[in-house]
Amino acid sequence: MAAEALSVIKVRDMLLVTVPPDPDDETITALQDRVLEAMERHAPKGLILDITTVESLDSFFARTIAETTQMVALMGGLTVIAGMRPAVAITTTQLGLTLGSTLAALDVDMAMDLLANHD
Amino acid sequence: MGVPQSGEMAIHCESDLIQARKLVRELTTDLGFGVTDVTRIITAASELVRNIYRFAGAGVMQWQVLEQDRRVGVELSFVDHGPGIADVEVAMQPGFTSGNGMGMGLPGIKRLMDEMELKTEVGKGTDVTVRKWLRG
Repeated sequence: MAAEALSVIKVRDMLLVTVPPDPDDETITALQDRVLEAMERHAPKGLILDITTVESLDSFFARTIAETTQMVALMGGLTVIAGMRPAVAITTTQLGLTLGSTLAALDVDMAMDLLANHD
Repeated sequence: MGVPQSGEMAIHCESDLIQARKLVRELTTDLGFGVTDVTRIITAASELVRNIYRFAGAGVMQWQVLEQDRRVGVELSFVDHGPGIADVEVAMQPGFTSGNGMGMGLPGIKRLMDEMELKTEVGKGTDVTVRKWLRG
């Protein structure tokens, strides 16, 4: 999956990124850069990372999500991951990975509600 | 076109990681592992491949389908000639990660698999072998 395929979409006062199914490290790093640029340009309330199609999540991915959440927070935004698959949730937990202060929602719809209702 | 019952692939760089994950996905799915076990095995392989190119620079991933006492499983070995692990006992402690929290610790990987064996010698290299058996 090429990093160019990533798009950061602004919806109302939020940013939405759909993470590809099996992203390489380059794509994950590019995602962080794009998100922070978009934070500056649009000044949104927060960021939704849609990981519905993500099939596995390893330490690099987890660490980059946790870092991105922290960077977005320093710029004044919240980060929500949406749609983690059960198998990914089980594996992530058993491996001992944590996502820092990243919020989570069952799907993008609920992630939008979470951000909209957050003061 | 399935994955052969056994084989090996060279690990040099980050792009090999994607290939290794694809191969393990195809191999374990063809064997009949469920989605959760497939995800566990892929993630374990991903961490172990990452450890190879990060700490040793290069190495190989070997795979083999196992048939034993009417049960079927998969064995993956990750072999390098890198620096080795000085203190295996410390490396096996829960929560241990070497350097920046990247390349998850071996205890986490062990939890994802049914069996794990670690052979390592300082200055010679490391061989981590993991196995997962089909339930049922």
